[in-house]
Order: sequence, then structure tokens, then C-alpha cells
Amino acid sequence: MTREPRLIVLLVTLLVTTACAGLLGACSHARVQPAPQRQAGTLVALLPDADDGTVGRAFVSTPSGMAELQSARASTSVVGNGAPGAVAPLSEADVQALFGSALSTMPRRARQFTLYFQFESDELTAESRALVPQVLQAVKDYPFPDVEVIGHTDTTGTAASNVGLGLRRATLVRRLLLDAGLEGSIVDATSHGEADLLVPTPDETREPRNRRVEISVR
Amino acid sequence: MLLSLRWIAGALVVVIVPLVASAAEPGAAGRIKVVSGPVFVVRANVVTPATAGQALFEADTLRTGANGRVGITLNDDTRVSLGPDSEARLDQFVYAPAEKRGGLVLEVVRGLIAYVSGRIAKLSPDAVKLETPNAIVGVRGTTLVLRVDAK
Repeated sequence: MTREPRLIVLLVTLLVTTACAGLLGACSHARVQPAPQRQAGTLVALLPDADDGTVGRAFVSTPSGMAELQSARASTSVVGNGAPGAVAPLSEADVQALFGSALSTMPRRARQFTLYFQFESDELTAESRALVPQVLQAVKDYPFPDVEVIGHTDTTGTAASNVGLGLRRATLVRRLLLDAGLEGSIVDATSHGEADLLVPTPDETREPRNRRVEISVR
Repeated sequence: MLLSLRWIAGALVVVIVPLVASAAEPGAAGRIKVVSGPVFVVRANVVTPATAGQALFEADTLRTGANGRVGITLNDDTRVSLGPDSEARLDQFVYAPAEKRGGLVLEVVRGLIAYVSGRIAKLSPDAVKLETPNAIVGVRGTTLVLRVDAK
């Protein structure tokens, strides 16, 4: 019962402030200015992650001010050239009424698999090898799927040689996926080398958990 | 005879093009995953109807008509969707983690847009920006919605 009036109030406030800002802008200028025009308006809201509820953080800035969004459904509006308005939460009903059309069209979240090799070997561990059928199954959940195989290393050796090592391992895993039946045109092999550590370490540190191949299905 | 051969060749091209649309395309930034109602891609000032499965490139604009909606997934797993009467341009997409480079700038011209961050936001926290005609949103993650009323 209460949600629709609240939504109307929100929208009317936006429109009225837009119109007022336009009038003020015109009044402060010379009289030869044409009739006041509607100004640009931006409404921004931060939402909890649909899958795990995580709330991120965002900064809304204009030449005249800044607002920080850091709690669930926190929102701010910017009218014309003004500063961002006071941060206030939207209700879940407001979010659905305003943004439901976009939110319901969001593609499915990418799914990740992490694979490990046996020590000093080009053979996957038994557990990792067992993930391959799961990857093939997951691909079926996505329309027009893409599969990215990303090689990662630890920080032993140079950055450049680790990019090469990561790519070699990603290519091996890509081959496994193709042999298991995936179409080559949807599977890419890439390498992040030592630039994307799972466990942060200093340079020149052996860390088996960082030597991995990640598969992203999206 | 020559004319009919040309016609057949033309027909073959028309048939083949949609088949290769799902192939990984070099230089692509992502792919359109969901299309509903009128949706268009503007590339180098040429407007073409969007199709699900189509590759997207840096500098492409997505435009939806009344009742149009579209959802895309970029190569770093970032996801973006647009509601009706909306327009957004992929101003910048740089995803090169091995070289420690990443950047994503999405220009929201008008309408409704939802954004869920991917790997670029994780690896380069200050590198993701959603720009509207009168504000810049710096995104640390993860889910944001914007409504932009153009002037």
C-alpha cells in the first residue's frame, strides 16, 4: 500500500527539482535566454549483489561535489550541473519498480572453476581432472557461451616468463576441454602470469595455490 | 547464368554469417547474451539490429527502443543490461591483466542501466567509470543501477 505513493513522491521530487533548477538557471542569465529547458538528471543506486548479497562501493561525482554510496540500496540524484543530492536508501519495491526491466535482463553470472597441476608436472591433479565434465555441463546453462581458460603462476621467475608458463598451461587445459567435446571457437586460452595471485605473496615466492588454471564460463 | 551464380553466392553469405557469429572474434570486448524487443548496435555511425550471440567491440553503442531490453557479458565477466528507451556506449574496454592494464568506461547516454562488476574492477579498482551527461560514477563494485534523463 505504501510503496506506490513513496515512488511517486520520489519521481515527483526529481521532476520538480529538475524544473526548478532549470528555472533558476534561466533566471540568473540574461533575459534573452529562451524558455527554461529540462536539465539532465541522473539517479544512481548501489544494490546488494543478487547472488551473494555483497554490497560494494561507488563514488558519484560532478564538478561541484561528490557522494559516496556504501550501503544496500543507497542512492543519490544529480540534477543539471548541481552536486549529488543527499544519500538516501531506496526501498526494494522502488528498485524493482524503477529498474526491474534492466535487472531482469542481466545475463547469468559467470561461473569459475579452478584447476591444479601435479607438482612440477603437466598433468592435472585427479580432483581437477574430475572438474572437466562439470565445466562441460555448466556451458549448457549459458546462451551463446564463452569459455575462457586463464593460466596463473606464482611469483618464482620473471614476470615475462610466467606469462609464457601460464599460457602453456592454459593451452593444455583448453586442449583437454576440446578433446572432451567443447567447440574450439568458443574456448580461449589466456595468461595472467604472476599478476593475479590467489594468495598474495612477495616476489620470488613458491606458492602452489597460485599455480593454477582458472576456467570462466559465461 | 552469371547473375544466378552471384545470387547463389550472395544467398550463401547470408546463410553463413549467422553461423559464425558465435565464434570467438579477435578484438571483441564481449558478447550480447540477451535481446528482447527492439535493440540496435551503433558501430561507426551505422545502426544495425542487435542479435543475441553477436560480438561487441570497444566504441560500440547499444540502443533500445520502447519495450527493448538487452543484456551483455564482457570478456572480464562484467555484466551490463539496459531497459527500454536506453542508450549506452562502451567508450573504453582494456583487459590485459598480464600487462597490469585494465579500464572500463561506459557512457550512459539515457535510460535505465544495471551494471555488475567483473575482473577489471577487482584488479584495477579505480579503473571503472560509468559516465552520464551530468555525473561520473566511480565503481569499486559490485552492482549498480542508473537512471539517466537526458537534457
